[in-house]
Amino acid sequence: MVDASTNEKFSGATRYVLDDELASIVNISMALEMPLLLKGEPGTGKTMLAHAIAESLEMPLIVLNVKSSMKLVDALYQYDTLTRLNDSRFGDSSRDVSNIEDYIRMGKIGQAFTAMSRTVLLIDEIDKADSDFQDDMLDVLDQMEFDIIEIDKTVKARHRPVMIITSNAKKDLSDPFLGRCNFHHIAFPEPVMMREIIGVHFPGLDAELIENAIGTFYNLRDVDAVEKRPATRELINWIRALKADPDFKPERLAEGEVPFLGVLFKKSQDYRRAAQYIERRRVL
Amino acid sequence: MFIDFFYTLKDVGVPVSPTSFLTLHKALRTGLINTLSDFYTSSRAILVKSERYFDLFDQVFAHHFQGAELPDYTGVEFDEIARALLEYWLKEPEALADAMGIDESELNKLSPEELIEYFKERLREQTEAHHGGDRWIGTGGTSPVGHSGYHPGGMRVGGVSRNKSAVKVAMDRRYKDYSLSGPLTQAMMGEALKRLRNMVPVGPQDQINIDATLYQTMKNGGEIEIVFDRSLKDRLKVILAIDNGGYSMDPYVMVVQTLFDYSRAQFKDLKTYFFHNTIYSTLWEDPARFKKPQYIEELVRFGRETRFIVVGDASMAPYELMAADGSIHLEERSGRPSIECLKFLAKTFPHAVWLNPITSGMWGYTQTINVIREIFPMFELSIDGLEKAVAHLMTK
Repeated sequence: MVDASTNEKFSGATRYVLDDELASIVNISMALEMPLLLKGEPGTGKTMLAHAIAESLEMPLIVLNVKSSMKLVDALYQYDTLTRLNDSRFGDSSRDVSNIEDYIRMGKIGQAFTAMSRTVLLIDEIDKADSDFQDDMLDVLDQMEFDIIEIDKTVKARHRPVMIITSNAKKDLSDPFLGRCNFHHIAFPEPVMMREIIGVHFPGLDAELIENAIGTFYNLRDVDAVEKRPATRELINWIRALKADPDFKPERLAEGEVPFLGVLFKKSQDYRRAAQYIERRRVL
Repeated sequence: MFIDFFYTLKDVGVPVSPTSFLTLHKALRTGLINTLSDFYTSSRAILVKSERYFDLFDQVFAHHFQGAELPDYTGVEFDEIARALLEYWLKEPEALADAMGIDESELNKLSPEELIEYFKERLREQTEAHHGGDRWIGTGGTSPVGHSGYHPGGMRVGGVSRNKSAVKVAMDRRYKDYSLSGPLTQAMMGEALKRLRNMVPVGPQDQINIDATLYQTMKNGGEIEIVFDRSLKDRLKVILAIDNGGYSMDPYVMVVQTLFDYSRAQFKDLKTYFFHNTIYSTLWEDPARFKKPQYIEELVRFGRETRFIVVGDASMAPYELMAADGSIHLEERSGRPSIECLKFLAKTFPHAVWLNPITSGMWGYTQTINVIREIFPMFELSIDGLEKAVAHLMTK
């Protein structure tokens, strides 16, 4: 298992531009078999990283989207009492009613543990859930096993999954939890990096369009007092929108015009501010 | 290996743990770390758990591996005081020159930069902590220069202008933004707050009540009848009002920050307001107590079930509490004495407590604390006091 992990190294994927720093952190986390906790502005590719790792290492990806009401048990397994009740009443299924195990279904973490090959497990936006969720998860992370109380059975991980955990920093995570993870903060990409990212997403895109779009984009990111600044995701969607518009010409960006502003700014107040800013610049 | 590095990190205040240090060594043995930059990225990922400390880590790393100077953190405080002195100097050169025992014309010759340097030098000469003297800069002295001079006659650095009485702190917009995270050290605090919950069934009936379902099914002679419940959710509303002004609260910043952190994580429905010394007709949503006022009459809409928690030292000049125009802030002139406002709040929210960071043994010595204790049940802002406060808040 250890050999497998050290031999395989992550070096980027077809749709993901990886900086060296992040690459070495991913590799170290895989070698240490520790979860990697990623923080960063929304839309900087935290979630995409897990997809990219799965693709490049050719491992199946299991995504656990954390919801605010989620309990850890939901992520581990589910005991389907209703089906069992139904079966005991009508008895027309192939399941054995007296065998509870037939009614246990694995949750996402359970699936990752019981998978036949090593998987990439993405726990997305862990900060959405209560702090109990993290606390309960400590044991599971440490031991790489959990108990199914109903049948008193311990599920051990066949292969330690490559775990990527993302957080939007809505809440601080607890210290013991952080202690078990490696940490990286994805900074917002520099324009040079951004050009590469756009290049990967839109191969063969007109150079003038790329230059003008990125220039306008970074300008707009500097607009003051904006609550949610546009990130990589918005830029990609915006360029997609620009490409789809047959009337659009790159020169129009250079002239200070910004079509589809709503793709970049999604809060009405931000939108208004950005629109004012553009208006002012055009007048000047 | 790298033990010095580890301890330097610890000394400058990056929260590092021994376990993570061992993990780093495990990482070194994997053979994946071959260059200094590999070591940089992986040691940062393993040791540092928040981007808040990245900058500090960078500095220590540069210091340790490249021989860069570690910034002198004690210098920052000097800078701030010196700058405040400069501001003061610009407004009232005579008073300052007099207090420092130097000739005003001497200082006049200096440029602002030189002045700052000069002030810093004088500050360094003062080697001992200096509280309550009458000559030089310290906290709570009677010298006109420095933090919170003797109340009626004293002035505050940057505080006096526009020919208003020296008692009024009109210019003083000093504040601490407690909402910036503080160190999460006292996990006990979270434990104490956890008990403050009010579980009520809300939302659609989508939770299957298995016991009731089985019972009904048996009653029906095996014919399945599924019973649904609403799910239980914590719907406790909490209003937290924090005294974030004034130097008297400064020593308690850490503990209040911790309280704030935990309550933010704990309560779904938390409103935080700020005030200075005591509450008049408004509370403030922004820590600077400037932009977003909240009239206390409007708090009624939160309902009587809301838990109202005040954090403050409740120590002030008695007239601030009793007089109709008692506020030390000029713009606060509602004509209603603060004590009336406090009584109104206590009546509006039967579940209210006042948390006081001052140890309870000292309460008897401050008149305003005794008065406020009559209105709000007061508890010490300690784990013990917090537990008692929570118990009090949960009584029906």
